[in-house]
Amino acid sequence: MRHALLIAAALSLAAPHAFALDSGVSKQTLEKVTTVCQNCHGAKGDSVSGTFPRLNGQQAAYIAAQLKNFREHSRSDPHAMAYMWGMASQLDDALIANIAKYYAAQKPTPPQTGGALAAQGKAIFADGIPAHTVPPCAACHGDHGEGAAEVPRLAGQHGDYLKQQLEAFRSLLRENQVMHANTKDMTDSEIEAIVSYLAND
Amino acid sequence: MRNSSGSNRGTANVIGGWLLALMLLAMPRTAHAVPSFARQTGLACEACHTVFPQLTPFGRAFKASGYTLFNTLKVQDVNQLKQSTLSLSDLPPISLMVMASESMASKANDSQSSKSSTDFPQQLSLFYAGRISDNVGAYIQVTYDDQSGTFGMDNTDIRFADVATFDGHNVIYGLSLNNNPTVSDLWNSTSAWGQPFITSPAMQTPAATPQIEGPMAQVVAGLSAYTYIDQSIYVEAGLYRSALQGASVAFNGNLNNNIISGVAPYWRIAYENDWDKNSWEFGTFGLAAQLENPTTPAGGGINISLQNAPTDRFLDAGLDTQYQYIDDETQITVTGRWTHENQALNASFPATNADNPSDSVDFESVVGSYFWHRKLGATLGFFNLSGTTDSTYFGTSNGSPDSTWGNVEIDYLPWLNVKLGLQYTAYMKFNGATSNYDGAGRNASDNNMLFAYLWFAF
Repeated sequence: MRHALLIAAALSLAAPHAFALDSGVSKQTLEKVTTVCQNCHGAKGDSVSGTFPRLNGQQAAYIAAQLKNFREHSRSDPHAMAYMWGMASQLDDALIANIAKYYAAQKPTPPQTGGALAAQGKAIFADGIPAHTVPPCAACHGDHGEGAAEVPRLAGQHGDYLKQQLEAFRSLLRENQVMHANTKDMTDSEIEAIVSYLAND
Repeated sequence: MRNSSGSNRGTANVIGGWLLALMLLAMPRTAHAVPSFARQTGLACEACHTVFPQLTPFGRAFKASGYTLFNTLKVQDVNQLKQSTLSLSDLPPISLMVMASESMASKANDSQSSKSSTDFPQQLSLFYAGRISDNVGAYIQVTYDDQSGTFGMDNTDIRFADVATFDGHNVIYGLSLNNNPTVSDLWNSTSAWGQPFITSPAMQTPAATPQIEGPMAQVVAGLSAYTYIDQSIYVEAGLYRSALQGASVAFNGNLNNNIISGVAPYWRIAYENDWDKNSWEFGTFGLAAQLENPTTPAGGGINISLQNAPTDRFLDAGLDTQYQYIDDETQITVTGRWTHENQALNASFPATNADNPSDSVDFESVVGSYFWHRKLGATLGFFNLSGTTDSTYFGTSNGSPDSTWGNVEIDYLPWLNVKLGLQYTAYMKFNGATSNYDGAGRNASDNNMLFAYLWFAF
């Protein structure tokens, strides 16, 4: 039932939303920028490799916040430094806002259902792990992992990427105190279970 | 590295020139990663390279896009219509590369030589590598070579490129002006950027080589048009003409050798499929060249007026493939290539420089490399060259050009732009034979080479 709801939620978001460009950024400029993003993040943000996160259907506020973090070097996990510090360095706020709106408006990838540990992952996602001080993921990321504002969509993300981020939060390689607190006592198998529930690979 | 295959002057110089050419061909054919690209884009080496100089899918897109991606401040100007008239990077895209090496052969080349060689620098290169304007970029390399003691043009690739979206498809298209067939290619499975990236300058190499496998490098100029669709389908077609360095075909009545008659067409078609962290490419490439005043691997040559020179016709056609797996821990690249060359010796045969009116040569290579965290790596390569029997043309003792060799290399990168390598090359067959290949008792294995090198790019 939970899976059915999750799929239904994903399908309800399936149609790309139209969005209006903010002033000061032309359609041509945005298209030129997103063709560069496409080299790693795939057509319309649906990346092929799990090294690069899917951006299609991601929350606009989250994308914008991360691009600003990259630009200002306030996020310094290895991939952020290697790829995104450079790519975001010359983006202004208006362009960032439009890039974020463009990807948020793309059809999200639905999560894959039925992973080996999906049932365990679903339980962690919905109820947390009280023994490990892990709160329910759904409390912030939404019942269906769709995210909200600066809290990212997780549903349908690459499994490798989700796993890498959870491990990076746990070790503080990616500096985020809230997510570090939520993940510091997570075991590898619990991470695997959450990924199995949310990811699409 | 710089490669020379014959711009020799005059009859008396033919043999000496070919000895020089063979010596230069024996030098490493290297391909390079350029830190000025990193400075221009703000991207670390790993964005474009698994381990330099092997390209990642993003590196291929960056190259196809004309090296123009930039993420730095720039000096700009616009006209009254707000159209860009100037867009210069605030940093000149200059890089330097230094290689130093120590070589130890199994046996000295002759009774006069040492079997070891210290080369410092084996090669020193200066690059202009980066964006020139919004749609134009360049990779220009000038190299000092300690064997010749001179600076000279190395690989050069100047591009115009743009990108468009048609019906949802991402289409990169452009032009490349370059000096080496396959230097414009995006994969490491063709000759200009293929393994081995560096070998000993003291290495003995087989007499025969297909034209597209090196002899044309840096002595031609070619203009090609290409398109790269959805980072998957690549089509390129170009024309090459001779563009000698240090000599001219148009002045002084010099009797230059191996001059392309008219133009030499080049083609390249490739398909790449990416899934998860894997990519697999397969493709075809080729070159058709008619050479005036051709020289032969044996050192023979024809030297008459270029206005009347007969030609040997070379048709090179190849198949190649490349597989990659890339993640943070593991970087695997496997390449394979088969190049077939038909040689219609319409000039060399009548001049009694060949026993046969036509010959052929085949070259195969399979190379696999594994890197761990882009820090430690091992590479294993197998190479085979075979051809028809022609004592006069190839100049080998039994007339066969057949050679088979393999190499193994261990690399350590303390930093992403510094590589230390230890390489061993073993010849199973050389110029037609395993033992006594030269008729003077030298065996193929006498050319085996232990080679240690240090490679900086900054």
